[in-house]
Amino acid sequence: MTFEKVKNILVEELGLEEDEVKLESNLKDDLEADSLDLAEVVINLEEEFDIEIPEEDYPKFVTVKDIVNFLEK
Amino acid sequence: MHRNQITELLNIKYPIFQGGMAWVSDADLAGAVSNAGGLGIIAAGNAPADWVESEVNKIRKITDKPFGLNIMMMSPFKEDVCELAAKLEVPVIITGAGSPGNYLKLWKEKNIKVIPVCPSTSFALRMERYGADAVICEGSEAGGHIGQLTTMALVPQVVDAVNIPVIAAGGIADKRGAAAAFMLGASGVQVGTRFLVSKECNAHQNFKDKVISSKDVHTVVSGLSTGHPVRSIKNSITNKFKKLEKKGAPMDDFENIGRGALRKAVVEGDIKNGSLMAGQISGLIKEELSCSEIIDEVINGAYDLINNFKN
Repeated sequence: MTFEKVKNILVEELGLEEDEVKLESNLKDDLEADSLDLAEVVINLEEEFDIEIPEEDYPKFVTVKDIVNFLEK
Repeated sequence: MHRNQITELLNIKYPIFQGGMAWVSDADLAGAVSNAGGLGIIAAGNAPADWVESEVNKIRKITDKPFGLNIMMMSPFKEDVCELAAKLEVPVIITGAGSPGNYLKLWKEKNIKVIPVCPSTSFALRMERYGADAVICEGSEAGGHIGQLTTMALVPQVVDAVNIPVIAAGGIADKRGAAAAFMLGASGVQVGTRFLVSKECNAHQNFKDKVISSKDVHTVVSGLSTGHPVRSIKNSITNKFKKLEKKGAPMDDFENIGRGALRKAVVEGDIKNGSLMAGQISGLIKEELSCSEIIDEVINGAYDLINNFKN
């Protein structure tokens, strides 16, 4: 479920197709997200999950799985 | 009613042009804009002369008001279209993606008003010297093929440099943008994306819906490394361009992906593999209105804003 929500945000913000987003996808190398994109994704995650993600945590998000794990914690 | 340099020059009611968007700006859209008091513009894009001729004949049935023809100077049919425009004596010619060069003289002999799109002050000065009637300064907020400078920086610098009217373009979609452009010294505005999402525009509904749902950060510039950067809404094709750019791929690779992509978006409504050329202001556009509603909101709204500013 968490993955689905994360996927929807990535699809929307990065102009991706759903089948392009996998748990193991590297945000930068596979999904072409730059740091501005990532910030946009995080802000949307905060809204979707009603949480606050500190900026110092951004670099932890290398793959989609990292985001999902972080949110499920 | 407000008259200014550009409305006097072109004999139009409102100082607003509808941007010449390839595949999008046909006789139906341009005719609706001209009928509503703006300057509707047919975009020749890469289309052959016979298509242009039929659209010009069509718009003359739709409206008796002035209209323009945007000629893309990199088109493979450039020469045919330039000569056709003179033969048909279209009221206004807009040139883009290069200099009109020797054609300017041919058109002026036919009493056609010529308005080149200029990416810089030096280009605008040269066009003025060649006899252009006005210039359009389009900032990189615009959709499609773009230059380096933003509207905010480009427009006042050109306004100071030339004595002919300047039309501001790029990033203008509502009354606030138009009011700002007038304050920068522009005599008129050119609006593209907002008219793409108009009732009279024949672009595919999928494309319009994509513009309506997109946010401020959703347009990207592709192909900077090719020297022909294009702004469009992020999707599969822009991500492919991004990959190519990172690899430093040759021009051919970009062309292979880009060929026919604009048509796919506009005509087929393919929002995945089509090139969704649209401006940064897409995020501001929330509904599909008629051309006359858009013109009223943008221009009369801008005059109201300016008149009420002191209060």
